[in-house]
Amino acid sequence: MSDLTLDFSTLPGDAGVQALRQQAVDTFTRTGLPGRRDEDWKYTDISRITGTLGETWWLPMPTEISVTEISDIEGLDAYRIVFVAGVFQPESSNLPDTIQLKPLSALLTEGADEPSHCLFKLDESAPLFNGFLATNSALASDGLCACIGKNIKLDRPLYVVHVGNNTAHVLNGLMLGQGAEVTLIEHFVGGDSAGAGLSNIATYLRLQDNASLTHYRLQMESAKQFHIGRVEVKQARDSRYTLHAVELGGSLSRTDIVVKLAEAGASCDLNGLFVASGRQHIDHHTRIDHAAPHCTSREQYRTVLDGRAHGVFNGKIVVAEGAVKTDSAQSNGNLLLSKNAEIDTKPELEIYNDDVKCAHGVTVGQLDENQLFYLKSRGLSETEARQLLTFAFADEILTAMDNNAIRRFIEKAAFAKLPNMTDLDGLLG
Amino acid sequence: MSDVKPTTKQEIVSGIESDIKPEEFANQEYEAGFVTDIDADTLPPGLNEDVIRHISAKKDEPEWLLNWRLEAFRHWLTMTEPHWAHVQYPPIDFQSISYYSAPKSKEDGPKSLDEVDPKLVETYEKLGIPLREQEMLAGVAVDAVFDSVSVATTFKGKLKEAGVIFCPISEAVREYPELVRQYLGTVVPTGDNFYAALNSAVFTDGSFVYIPKGVRCPMELSTYFRINAMNTGQFERTMIIADEGAYVSYLEGCTAPQRDENQLHAAVVELVAMDDAQIKYSTVQNWYPGDENGVGGIYNFVTKRADCRGDRSKVSWTQVETGSAITWKYPSCVLRGDDSVGEFYSVALTKMRQEADTGTKMIHIGKRTKSTIVSKGIAAGHGNQSYRGLVNIGKGADGARNYTQCDSLLIGDSCGAHTFPYVVVKNQTATMEHEATTSKIGEDQLFYCQSRGISEEDAVNMIVNGFCKDVFNELPMEFAVEANRLMEVSLEGAVG
Repeated sequence: MSDLTLDFSTLPGDAGVQALRQQAVDTFTRTGLPGRRDEDWKYTDISRITGTLGETWWLPMPTEISVTEISDIEGLDAYRIVFVAGVFQPESSNLPDTIQLKPLSALLTEGADEPSHCLFKLDESAPLFNGFLATNSALASDGLCACIGKNIKLDRPLYVVHVGNNTAHVLNGLMLGQGAEVTLIEHFVGGDSAGAGLSNIATYLRLQDNASLTHYRLQMESAKQFHIGRVEVKQARDSRYTLHAVELGGSLSRTDIVVKLAEAGASCDLNGLFVASGRQHIDHHTRIDHAAPHCTSREQYRTVLDGRAHGVFNGKIVVAEGAVKTDSAQSNGNLLLSKNAEIDTKPELEIYNDDVKCAHGVTVGQLDENQLFYLKSRGLSETEARQLLTFAFADEILTAMDNNAIRRFIEKAAFAKLPNMTDLDGLLG
Repeated sequence: MSDVKPTTKQEIVSGIESDIKPEEFANQEYEAGFVTDIDADTLPPGLNEDVIRHISAKKDEPEWLLNWRLEAFRHWLTMTEPHWAHVQYPPIDFQSISYYSAPKSKEDGPKSLDEVDPKLVETYEKLGIPLREQEMLAGVAVDAVFDSVSVATTFKGKLKEAGVIFCPISEAVREYPELVRQYLGTVVPTGDNFYAALNSAVFTDGSFVYIPKGVRCPMELSTYFRINAMNTGQFERTMIIADEGAYVSYLEGCTAPQRDENQLHAAVVELVAMDDAQIKYSTVQNWYPGDENGVGGIYNFVTKRADCRGDRSKVSWTQVETGSAITWKYPSCVLRGDDSVGEFYSVALTKMRQEADTGTKMIHIGKRTKSTIVSKGIAAGHGNQSYRGLVNIGKGADGARNYTQCDSLLIGDSCGAHTFPYVVVKNQTATMEHEATTSKIGEDQLFYCQSRGISEEDAVNMIVNGFCKDVFNELPMEFAVEANRLMEVSLEGAVG
């Protein structure tokens, strides 16, 4: 793997940020990119990325970026923040004025202050740390930075659209003050763009006491795009974090979700849905650290794989020695629709404490013959019956979404991907 | 199932049960902790090609086996010790271990029990294995392995009648070289992993079992292992081959004397099941776990694998692991034949500073292959234990089925229980389920038992036994009772 030799002096940021960028480069030089011999990357071969993008995979390609009309999700009423190839687009955006919210690029040019420094600072000992994250710190020049003040309940969701048709390193930070309540929607779209690049997205989320964040992460990149994501969440006392991660697009997509329940009473709820076909490779590694007593975590992941798609799920839950009264449950269901699809799943528990209630479950299977028979006996055709059951399997994750506009949107997008699944409305009639 | 078995079981268990009184439990120390003073013919510590040549010469081995050993050794030199398991121990100096130790015997070896060193027999009697009585009771044939050489094999004649070969592997090498050569290393190749390579280079003894076509082995075969002489690692190699339609149940029980130095045990077990054959392999492992501070204790790094080569073959692993300081063990099944079945039932208990990383691998290759995994882990004190398993359903394994359940029970706030199940599915018609839970003993359950006048200790024992029941039910009768007892004894002092 080639070294990250590059000139970042043209990138924005004061001396402090530049020093952190240099540190990130040094870290990368030391660690390099993960390989299949790394336990966390056993099933995901990133040579597909470096092979396609070449020696200098981290650099954007010198292609013209055409921004077509970015259509909103139908019926979604939200503040819109648009990035194209990692660059903030003020004219397409509609920022709320009630909260402190700025693109990272603006923060950096105004003379970086505390928040941007801490975003760039790397913690190599963090779970699932890897070379892509170091690259992100070294090269990110834009993203979303927001601080939501104490007890602010944002009236509309923050809808962040990333149009990824080239290589971009995006760094987001969102801090919720005590008692704040926000819905964040991260939407990665490629549209019809033919370009292949890498979307390297890191999102840091901090929840202070009693804050509540609902996070939608919708990965719908274009067919050739690569997506590497990281979501790092740190939760203070009694805070609540809900994630709805949907993976539909991209050629190879890997996202690490690292949640630390740092103080008593914090809870998190991770919901994930993969619908993949063709030669798509989708990988989620999640890690929940129960570091304090009385924390609760819930995790549900469902994957539907068709064609030669390859799904990887790794869910690790670590309960620290003092984290008594931990309550944790995890389930992972997988449905293979074709004979060439593959799923690799590994739900892990690491528990250093006896006063806990932890459970996990995994299933891999096909549609239930009895259920199919029942539906057919009710007059549905074989195809319709299969459609309906596949829909029902995946929809369990979607019903947890309380934003109806997004749920509808995802239902349609997900099922448009599967064979003979176009007439969803007709089916649900 | 032999009808005389219950009597045998009684005999085996009586030795353990009779001399333990409940009040002695509070300071329950390792019961089998004593060293028999036998003059052992031991090689100086160290490992090189000469040592391997010496072992091979001592064993009177043919040329091909020596070459096979040397090849394994050369491969081993290129390998590095694995560190992925969730266990911690000081580095092992492989050059400070003596690789050969045999109890002194007459040149031709003992022909019957009478010729066996009386001290050795005494040792077994202390352990509650009435070797002499077994001959009369005719239930279990015991191939007693004392250190590295088998010194007594009973019931050969009876087994011979049935056509069953049950003998030390070194004897099999001499008497049935073709058979050994045909199967040796075909399930666990010499370069399979670090410890398997080491074992291939230096293995000294173990059992060899061959059940011919259509034969149902007339009795349960049993081997009691015992590590004795100071500083000798024990490198057992066990092979069981069940030819078409054969059935065998094999029991393995282990116990070791108390000592302060860590001892390495790196065994390899290879099972081969042909068409319609069935092998049931049960283990009760109770080696010295070290003291409260983690000093001493056995390192148990074992490679066990079964190859279900034939269609409709079945292999079932059952293990009760209560001993050893470090356990690193993954009895596996390669389900090659169509409709073959693999099973794994395990109870592992870690207490004090014990660490266990154990589980299984089920590799589904044939069509309609089935596997069941039931793993129960109990961690107490500062014990740490991990279930690490792999279910791999390959492309051609149409209609494969797996069910996995792994539960952990935690006793005390300084222990750890971990689960690392790997699932790889490449076939859409496969069905795979995995579930795992981790919890402590329910306070309401304890309270209920105590309100009925049952002491806390007994209540915990009851609950633990209930927790393990699914696995104990799979054990042959002899072991089931012993296992229950073992759990109770092992848990003493861990509760409260």
